[in-house]
Amino acid sequence: MQRDLGSFPFPPGIRVKLISSGFQSAEDLSGVRATELSKELGISKEEALEILQIVRQERPGEESQLSARLPSARKYTALELLEQEHAQGSIITFCSALDEVLGGGVPVGKIVEVCGAPGIGKTQLSIQLVVDAQIPECFGGLGGESVYIDTEGSFIVDRAMDIAAAAVHHCHLIAESNQDEVQREAAQAFSVSGILSRIYYFRCHDYVELLAQAHLLADFLVAHPKVCIVVIDSIAFPFRHNLDDLSLRTRLLNGLAQQLISMANEHNVAVVLTNQMTTRFGQVQSSLVPALGESWGHAATIRLILRWEGKLRFASLYKSPSQKEATVPYQITSLGFRDVQSSELVSPSLNNGDNPRKRPRNDDDGDRE
Amino acid sequence: MVLLREGICPGATAQLIQALRDQNVVTVVQLASADIEDLAQKCSVSYKTLVAVRRVLLAQYSPFPSNGADLYEELLASTAILSTGNRSLDAFLDSGLYTGEVTEFVGAPGSGKTQVCLSLAVNIVCELKQRVLYIDSTGGLSASRLLHLIQEQVNNLEGQSEALQRIEVVRVFEVYRLLDVLQDFRTGFTHQVTGARCSVKAVVIDSVSALLSSILGGHQLEGMSLMMQLARELKTIARELNVAVIVTNSVVQDSGGGGGGGVKPALGRSWSYVPNVRVLLQRGTEGAAVQPMKRTATILKSSRQPTRISTEFDITSCGTLTTQTASSQHSTGDLDNAD
Repeated sequence: MQRDLGSFPFPPGIRVKLISSGFQSAEDLSGVRATELSKELGISKEEALEILQIVRQERPGEESQLSARLPSARKYTALELLEQEHAQGSIITFCSALDEVLGGGVPVGKIVEVCGAPGIGKTQLSIQLVVDAQIPECFGGLGGESVYIDTEGSFIVDRAMDIAAAAVHHCHLIAESNQDEVQREAAQAFSVSGILSRIYYFRCHDYVELLAQAHLLADFLVAHPKVCIVVIDSIAFPFRHNLDDLSLRTRLLNGLAQQLISMANEHNVAVVLTNQMTTRFGQVQSSLVPALGESWGHAATIRLILRWEGKLRFASLYKSPSQKEATVPYQITSLGFRDVQSSELVSPSLNNGDNPRKRPRNDDDGDRE
Repeated sequence: MVLLREGICPGATAQLIQALRDQNVVTVVQLASADIEDLAQKCSVSYKTLVAVRRVLLAQYSPFPSNGADLYEELLASTAILSTGNRSLDAFLDSGLYTGEVTEFVGAPGSGKTQVCLSLAVNIVCELKQRVLYIDSTGGLSASRLLHLIQEQVNNLEGQSEALQRIEVVRVFEVYRLLDVLQDFRTGFTHQVTGARCSVKAVVIDSVSALLSSILGGHQLEGMSLMMQLARELKTIARELNVAVIVTNSVVQDSGGGGGGGVKPALGRSWSYVPNVRVLLQRGTEGAAVQPMKRTATILKSSRQPTRISTEFDITSCGTLTTQTASSQHSTGDLDNAD
């Protein structure tokens, strides 16, 4: 193979030594044994052995330090991928209009970025999602566990309890009205304390802790295979203050984005990030855009922008690989993130009543606007 | 550059190699550029042997010149033009994507790069019945969307599943893995071309900036070298294997106020020499509300078209494809599979 040695993941010192000894491509190393190589380059035998293993693409059954972490880059045909996608579910948001726009809910295996001005409901949506991810499968959920990484300290347990209680109540009502044994059993097992015990909460105070947590998350997900959603609220906060070097910030963010998407792909989790808004000065006017820069916009697979219009809250799908752009209204009630009732589009924020008859999306919903 | 080894050519005995090595002549380049008389004296080898060895090595390792007419004939025989499926884009790109070239689509997030790539891939597998290797590094590839696009083109279920099987998808999230994948593709290609009925005609990499931007800049110096390794690999694949290579890239702010509306392609000036054709995709005017709007494509770099020409195109439920062979009553349906 004429693959250039510069394209293998060697440490720079080793690379310099290889080149100065005249080894340029993988072919040059083909007949060389580890002892000869270590003598030639002046390195230890273990290092020489590692180099040869990387170049010869490690024989099966023998894993060196460097190769143990490589993710599987298997080739799939699109047909196999389609079957995989159908098998994976999505996590509903309890706002059926938003679920429609997203194509069923927050999809597993992709990164969703939620941007909005302060107070629009990003944290509320995050808490709603970590509760919704645990809804049992017979009710249309994924029955998994959740990870919540908090950088702002805005996760309030009491609020999570309220939202969890509403979700449990909802499931009980469905089980009762359907008279299904399986559903009734699942509804019994689904309790507020159970939900809270399955949310793994991490608190990170600055960007270094956040990066470290992202590194450790891969092992955590291997140890807890039932986790199906990871929420980072918010990802903008630690990177926007106390970080002066903008090019460092861009590099760190891009590296973090690649780590997160690789994790989402390997462990089949949905990743949800919340972002803040900033003002961009155009030639004529200034506009409100998501923070963290242009290059960060590419990190998320799906981007949702939440904004105010007068007294109403709207969610717009700004970027998605498979859905059309759309804007839908929503509201935040005492029960959590919900749809706006079509009869009350004028003043939705006063509606703090419970709507227990509201059904999740797998039932046929006549709730279109 | 190749090391001098015993048996590299007739006349290169172990003794000769050792003697040369003692004089610090280790590679073919060094032998070719050394002073033969001087070397012969120092190594105590005959002048004639050294000259003979050098001549054989030069014949083996130097490139072969060809004239313009031969080059033209070769290009005519080997280049194919792949249609993008959208007539205005085709006209804009001088009838389509050329094999043997690297085409780059640049744009801000949400400008439609992934949709254009998906539509291209679907057009190639449905219309041209060739295979596509799709390398995804952002998670933006959704198989349901591919199915939806294919369903607009092919009516029957069997045809659809065949078309889906012609798209090979690999997910890579770091640059070394990408280099591995491209190398495997290159070695695998030669084995497959003799047997398969249809072979890979396009390699799509979405997106290249996601992989490279985290290693460029700062104190690390290998970023640039990896970028250039990747560039070389892409160009070799395009030229040697006669495939069209399509990459996507992001944009960064351009304070110099260039023609692209205040943005320029990411990855810097060094990467700008790599693609043969560069197209900037933009949404329409930025309004306050997010509505489906026309998108424009502008040529930033091309060897055939004048730069700065633009065209408009739409991203509909059929992606950017405008040529439909299936019944046009297929409305903007949902993504559920028919079975």
